[in-house]
Amino acid sequence: MIATSIKWTRHNLFAKPLDVVLSLLVIPSVLWLGYTIAVWAVTAAKWDIIVQSLRVLMIGVFPADQAWRAWTASAIIGAILGAGLGCVVSFKPHHGVILLLLPILLLLVDGGVNNALPSTGIVGTTVLAWILTSYIAPARKALPAAAFISFIVIVAVMAPPGVGLWGGLLLSVLLTLVTAALSLPIGILLAFGRQSRLSSLRIISTWYIEVMRSVPLILVVYWIWILMPVLAPQWGLADVARGMIGFTIFYSAYVAEYVRSGLQAVPRTQIEAARSLGMSEFDINRSIVLPQALRVVVAPLVGNVLDIFNCAPLVFIIGLTDFLRAGQMILANPQYGDRTFEVLSFLLVTYFVMGSMITYAARRLEERMATGSR
Amino acid sequence: MTIHETSAVHDMVDHDHLKSQRLRNRVRHNAIQFTIIAVVVSLLGLLAYAVQTGLADKGIRFSFSFLSNTAGFDISEGWTLTAGDNVLLNFTLFTSDMTIASAFVTGIFNTAKVAIFAIILSTILGTMLGVGRLSTNWVVRNLCFWIVEFVRNTPLLIQLVFWYFAVVLRFPPIASAAHFFGLIVSQQGVYLPTFSWSGGDSTIATVLVTLLFVSILGAIFDPKKGMRRACIVSTLFLLAFLYATGGISTNFPVANKFKASGGTSISPEMAALLLAIVVNSASFIAETVRGAIDALPKSQWEAAASLGLTRRYTVNDIVLPQVFRVVLPSFGNQYISLTKNTALGIAVGYPDLFNIYGTIANQTGHSLEGILIVMLSYLIMSWIISTIVYWANRRLNPVGASR
Repeated sequence: MIATSIKWTRHNLFAKPLDVVLSLLVIPSVLWLGYTIAVWAVTAAKWDIIVQSLRVLMIGVFPADQAWRAWTASAIIGAILGAGLGCVVSFKPHHGVILLLLPILLLLVDGGVNNALPSTGIVGTTVLAWILTSYIAPARKALPAAAFISFIVIVAVMAPPGVGLWGGLLLSVLLTLVTAALSLPIGILLAFGRQSRLSSLRIISTWYIEVMRSVPLILVVYWIWILMPVLAPQWGLADVARGMIGFTIFYSAYVAEYVRSGLQAVPRTQIEAARSLGMSEFDINRSIVLPQALRVVVAPLVGNVLDIFNCAPLVFIIGLTDFLRAGQMILANPQYGDRTFEVLSFLLVTYFVMGSMITYAARRLEERMATGSR
Repeated sequence: MTIHETSAVHDMVDHDHLKSQRLRNRVRHNAIQFTIIAVVVSLLGLLAYAVQTGLADKGIRFSFSFLSNTAGFDISEGWTLTAGDNVLLNFTLFTSDMTIASAFVTGIFNTAKVAIFAIILSTILGTMLGVGRLSTNWVVRNLCFWIVEFVRNTPLLIQLVFWYFAVVLRFPPIASAAHFFGLIVSQQGVYLPTFSWSGGDSTIATVLVTLLFVSILGAIFDPKKGMRRACIVSTLFLLAFLYATGGISTNFPVANKFKASGGTSISPEMAALLLAIVVNSASFIAETVRGAIDALPKSQWEAAASLGLTRRYTVNDIVLPQVFRVVLPSFGNQYISLTKNTALGIAVGYPDLFNIYGTIANQTGHSLEGILIVMLSYLIMSWIISTIVYWANRRLNPVGASR
């Protein structure tokens, strides 16, 4: 045992002079950093601020007596995500144990049922949906339709207190899902437009994509935000809707580029074969090119969802209270002014956990798609 | 009718038929083209009309004449271009009595400043992280992996807020700040020493400076094999000589109670923005580099090992030169996205182009005209970067070069 560990150490840490120097420099500093952070997290940090303001962080300034609406919406989103996960990774008992740790942890820290009850519900529906799509094949087929209906239900449940009150992590997730869902069809159309035989369509699509890819997202979101009331003052669109339009306009161009790379991966001979069978261009694209192209780009598109999610905090520019802004709102309270590290590290860790899950799903999808095509 | 006759008639009809079908196709193609163009033009016209009437309702007229008005606001840092007395243009600090157009120039300057520094630093750091992920040292490999994973899976904006509020603003105040070789790192910003020429303009000085420039250029471009080492040695020698004789003098920053004088400074906002963008882009660059290294045939490593090359020589002389050829286009994309990310500076109050545009839009109400200028500026910056990368790519990968 000791001999193997010494051998491992010699092999992996002190194999060459450079490795020795690097190890001697890096190991103590990493240990020191880890020790400092651990000591701070256990002794100095006052984590009660997170527990107390968890509702604000999760749903923003949504009125407390209406919070059940937000929790219901979160549970539905959890179910959609769980069901989506079930199509990629089959549910295993240890997944459920890990997920159920969250409400238990909250119950322990909180001591009450304020946060534990909604989080149990959200985790529960997620797990149920995950199990459903893992083991029942027809449920997977019904997923797109179910997701579409769920969106409408979410909006119907969340809208009554006022669309302007949406906020917190829930807003970031909603924004991500809506943008991802809307930018896919537009992106596909743009990708076909860029490859079209019609030069006018090609030029317009190319320009749209290139311009959107060259300007910052924050600029597009702000631009749409000020342009919408000028263009359509009678609609009186809410800030949230304008933000979603801005995100969709921007990310459609990115989706279009991903889809185009997929379209190019479909062999020309298949299109020629379909043409010689007398299929119309529309049929060729719909039932031969697009399914294969989407298969290739599904993993990059999931990566794109992560990108959207990571850019969601930019909505601060149009005055929405997303996850980051909710955290800053708590810090703006002079009573909590010295809790910068606690709040920011909570934000970063939450984002990291969710982002890692998306990355993991993308990797699994990539593997599945790669095995299928060979 | 015999079979022959039918076939002849058929042939004739078919020929005509084909011709007319071609004509029909062409007409249809042109009609569709024309319809698309008409629809787009009318949509754009409708958009312009709606904007015009929408603005007219609010009493704003769409025009660019506001650009020549006096700005009337201050910008915390940044230079602008003004018409000089003896030279055509020169850089001066922006003041509130200058025009709005020069405020835009200041914004472009500040954005470009951060972007250029970030491009250089993130390329270096990113390559190091990417190579580090393939290190034989277990700790280094895993450390690089987790840094890259963490940075890639969290939003840049939260990282920026973290760097600003939790790191840069927690630096010691300048009176008690640490000094390293003339470098002062403090809450009020980072102060660096500057070098200036004080050798006069005598013939010997001119010759020495010319020699210095020639040897620096030689060290960078390496005209002949083996010249680089000689050039580096002569550069160092000349620098040491000039420094010793007082030709080059250093200007160290001196800490006072609230700020430092002398040297040059980086504002806390810029320091935070630069840190956030460099670390973020470096992680993405690291991922590209690692992917490219992984994509190299394993046999190259084995061939190098069987020739007895050490890992360092293998990486420096065999792997990295090939990797840089492959990754240059992805680096270009990363540089463009990095330049776009500087617009997040508004979150910490760095006066970049987007932030200054926000101030101008608030003050003048000409937000739509301003946004066209800002969009155009970003487009031009992206084009410049992609042109440079394209040119570098052509140089590194001449047509027909084998991989």
